[in-house]
Amino acid sequence: MSNQIPDPPRWADWLLERFCIDHLVEIIQGDLYELYYKRNLRKGRRYAMLWYILDVFNICGRFAFKRNRSYSNKLDMFYNYYKIAIRNMMRHKAYSAIKIGGFALGIAICLLISLFIADELNYDKHYEGSERIYRMLYEWNEPGDMNTWPSFQGPAAKVIRAEVPGIEKAGRIVPRKWYLAGDNLVRVAGTEQNLYETGFVYVDQELFDIITPTFLEGDPATALTEPNSVVITETKALKYFPEGGAVGQMILLNDDTAKPMKVTGVIEDLPANTHFNFDWAMTMAGVEFWPGEQNSWCCNNYHLYVKLSPEANLTDVLASLQRLKTHHIEPYQKKRSSPAEMEQMAKYFAVNVQPIEDIHLRSQGIADRIYVYGDIKIVWMFAAIAILIFVLASINFVNLSVAKSANRAKEVGLRKVVGSPKSMLIGQFLMESTLFSFISFVLGLLIAVTLMPYFNELTGKTLSVPFDLWYFVPLIILLAVFAGFAAGLYPAFFLSAFQPIEVIKGKLARGAKNSVLQSSLIIFQFTVSVVLIVGALVVNGQLNFILNSKLGYEKDQVLLLQGTNTLEDHLLTFRDELKSIASVQNVTISEYFPVSKTQRDQNQFNREGKEKIEEPVGAQFWRVDDEYIPTLGMEIVQGRNFSSTMASDSNAIVINETMARELGFENPIGQRITNGYTRVVIGVVKDFHFDLMTTEIQPLSFAPGRRPQMMAVRISTENVKETLGSIGSLWDEYQPNQPIRYQFLSERYEGMYGHVKRTSEVFSIFALLAIVIACLGLFALSTFMVEQRRKEIGIRKILGASLQSLFSILTANFLRLVAVAFIIAIPLGWYVMNFWLEGYEYGIEVSWLEFALAGGSIFAIAVITMSFEIIRAVNNNPADTLHAE
Amino acid sequence: MKLGGFEELVLLAVGSLGDDAYGVSIKEILEEKTGKKPSIGALHSALYRLEEKSYLSSSEGGATNERGGRRKKYYQLTSTGRQTLEEANELRMAFARQIPNLKLGLNDE
Repeated sequence: MSNQIPDPPRWADWLLERFCIDHLVEIIQGDLYELYYKRNLRKGRRYAMLWYILDVFNICGRFAFKRNRSYSNKLDMFYNYYKIAIRNMMRHKAYSAIKIGGFALGIAICLLISLFIADELNYDKHYEGSERIYRMLYEWNEPGDMNTWPSFQGPAAKVIRAEVPGIEKAGRIVPRKWYLAGDNLVRVAGTEQNLYETGFVYVDQELFDIITPTFLEGDPATALTEPNSVVITETKALKYFPEGGAVGQMILLNDDTAKPMKVTGVIEDLPANTHFNFDWAMTMAGVEFWPGEQNSWCCNNYHLYVKLSPEANLTDVLASLQRLKTHHIEPYQKKRSSPAEMEQMAKYFAVNVQPIEDIHLRSQGIADRIYVYGDIKIVWMFAAIAILIFVLASINFVNLSVAKSANRAKEVGLRKVVGSPKSMLIGQFLMESTLFSFISFVLGLLIAVTLMPYFNELTGKTLSVPFDLWYFVPLIILLAVFAGFAAGLYPAFFLSAFQPIEVIKGKLARGAKNSVLQSSLIIFQFTVSVVLIVGALVVNGQLNFILNSKLGYEKDQVLLLQGTNTLEDHLLTFRDELKSIASVQNVTISEYFPVSKTQRDQNQFNREGKEKIEEPVGAQFWRVDDEYIPTLGMEIVQGRNFSSTMASDSNAIVINETMARELGFENPIGQRITNGYTRVVIGVVKDFHFDLMTTEIQPLSFAPGRRPQMMAVRISTENVKETLGSIGSLWDEYQPNQPIRYQFLSERYEGMYGHVKRTSEVFSIFALLAIVIACLGLFALSTFMVEQRRKEIGIRKILGASLQSLFSILTANFLRLVAVAFIIAIPLGWYVMNFWLEGYEYGIEVSWLEFALAGGSIFAIAVITMSFEIIRAVNNNPADTLHAE
Repeated sequence: MKLGGFEELVLLAVGSLGDDAYGVSIKEILEEKTGKKPSIGALHSALYRLEEKSYLSSSEGGATNERGGRRKKYYQLTSTGRQTLEEANELRMAFARQIPNLKLGLNDE
């Protein structure tokens, strides 16, 4: 008979017995068994089983609550708590809105910043074996003159491959403007129109073997092995070959028909979270920039990346990497340097490596000026601000819950009298705050999604709220519960501790004083607000300083024309025609300009005849024409500018004040200096800023020379638009196939300080948020206080208090707290902002003015916030507030 | 008191089954007459409601082996239940008569 007895799963039975109404369990289970039996006979066991389980769930869903209704009141109490919470929320709408809204705002900001931080921390982690990939660095460890740079000599890669055990791959990249690397004019072979493109680099095939970009077309293993091959990104492939089939096509750079390049691969666009940044990867195969270049240890032009083999030990590899120094660089330098210099080199010079994962955030002090690095300090600062704002918002949450306690006191008293134990009351208030927290989190997510586009604009990233991550929603729920508990803990214990007798007798005295906790919370909030306001003012002041201070040249009304080298033989005629435009004042041809992303050239200079005795002075060596100094509005302080009419000036050099000082010249004019080629100093130019204001002005020199890449045009302030128009049409006459490219020098200059502008904006926004949150808290607390002291106000009025005196009595307590906050904020803000300003060689000082402004505004804001409720209360008719007595 | 559509069907089924109206048999006759398969959960839920509204009364008994030795709950129409059914039917007929050319044979519901 055993096959007669149904055998449905035990756990389903258990579920049913656990959740179904007790007196129906037997009946329903009987019916289910019978159905199981019949279904089993008709359609088989599997079918019967499935339906049995579905039915059990169905029944549990329908009868679960009915069981509890008849046998336990736990759920009822829960429902009651919920109802009371909602009713309380509805009764004090403004209050609840502030409580939830403030918290939601804090959550939204916290979420946005967390996403930012997660993105920053996630750079360059996606390569296969990325923990074994390193960027090579040279270091100079002289105390007081520390220096680190990532550029290596041409033969370094092959030497490492051949001589250093434990290296799996070593690949080079030229990521800066150098020969064809940087920007070029591009056209597909067989077409006419040139387009200007940036993002050209030279790379070795082995570099691609290390960073393994995803190939959409072409062979990843051999794409860059043939000379003149180029791998392009998907975006560029779609732009130039919209019909597809990019691989095998030829492209021409700068109209150079003699040397076409063959597209050998299309890769996915590089992800946003890598420090690499290129669209066109040209092979290094078969490239030699000048005879012997690939075997010369003279010049550092390549960034070098290595991948260690899995079993290699970093310490050992690093030790054998020093061969670069001992076996190659030192022998090369020996012929060219004094014994003293060699000694220094042996002592201070070293080869080092940097994990590729560290490049984005930990490259401070690495002199490449190519990549825009993040800054681990900024990440920490953001994290600190996120936590601060979250704490501020949570404090409001706690504060507001406690402040409303008197309204709940009677409820607590009554519940206790009716027999509620303290634990249940704690549970009730925890549940309530969890409910609030949930609503806040949902609202906060909504705010975050809404603010995302603005936030992206601010940070220059493309972030989104990661709803598609499987753990995101559970994590948010978990956080909401956690935050609800954390924020509800203190109010829960506070409220549940009321003594029923006191409360019901109406003796819950709440005087004019705030509790210690509330006071300290307000102080904390306003301290943070003041510090952030000071921060915003200081950063903004520094930004204004940078943009408006005298630079030593005139950055306004100067146009930078790019790509003028394509004019070739017509360069000078074009310049002369430009000059004939009435509103054009001056034109100079050069590629060295005092803004970033233009040419730089560092040379070693000695006084003539002192090469072996004195240490050389490192200086920029810029090739310019005789109109450079007047066009850029620089000032000659001694001597004279070059002159095109004096043949002897081809040996002349103009140096800046710093260089004159470092070379030790009392009277520099007529002195002879050499960088291997001797020149005569004919003038000294006033120091001007050609680098970021974070560094001191360095030595710099001008020598005559023709560099056709760019032109700077000084135009008059009138009719700028027409002038631009006539320059444009002149260009079109000369270069019909190539659009004109120009920028104002002042724009380029501002672009160099984009990150300062960003920091200033971030500070302003955070300061604003902190103030909003602090004010929400203050508003709610003052509302509450007014409610508490309504009768007192009435009596004072009857006795003849003036409105002003009432107002000052009511605000005094809070204003005292704001004052304390201000006093705490002064040293704090001063210290933090001085720390930030230390990064600038040229900058403002933190002054009392910022603090006065911050203090004044915070007091004004605090008074205005409180006055809403207080003025209303003070204007009430005392009869209304007192008639109940 | 209101009577839902499914509840009315259940009342009719209980009434038509006479002495043998319990969960599974009611489900089966409903399947037979309407062609739809109500879930046993929905059915018990309706029975529970109807009993609370006192349209139905019940008695227990009749354990069988295929039920794992568990009792059945037999339902009967109460007089209120019967009256409610009649009222519902009257309402329907009153409406139906106002529709021209609608056939109202004896077998039609």
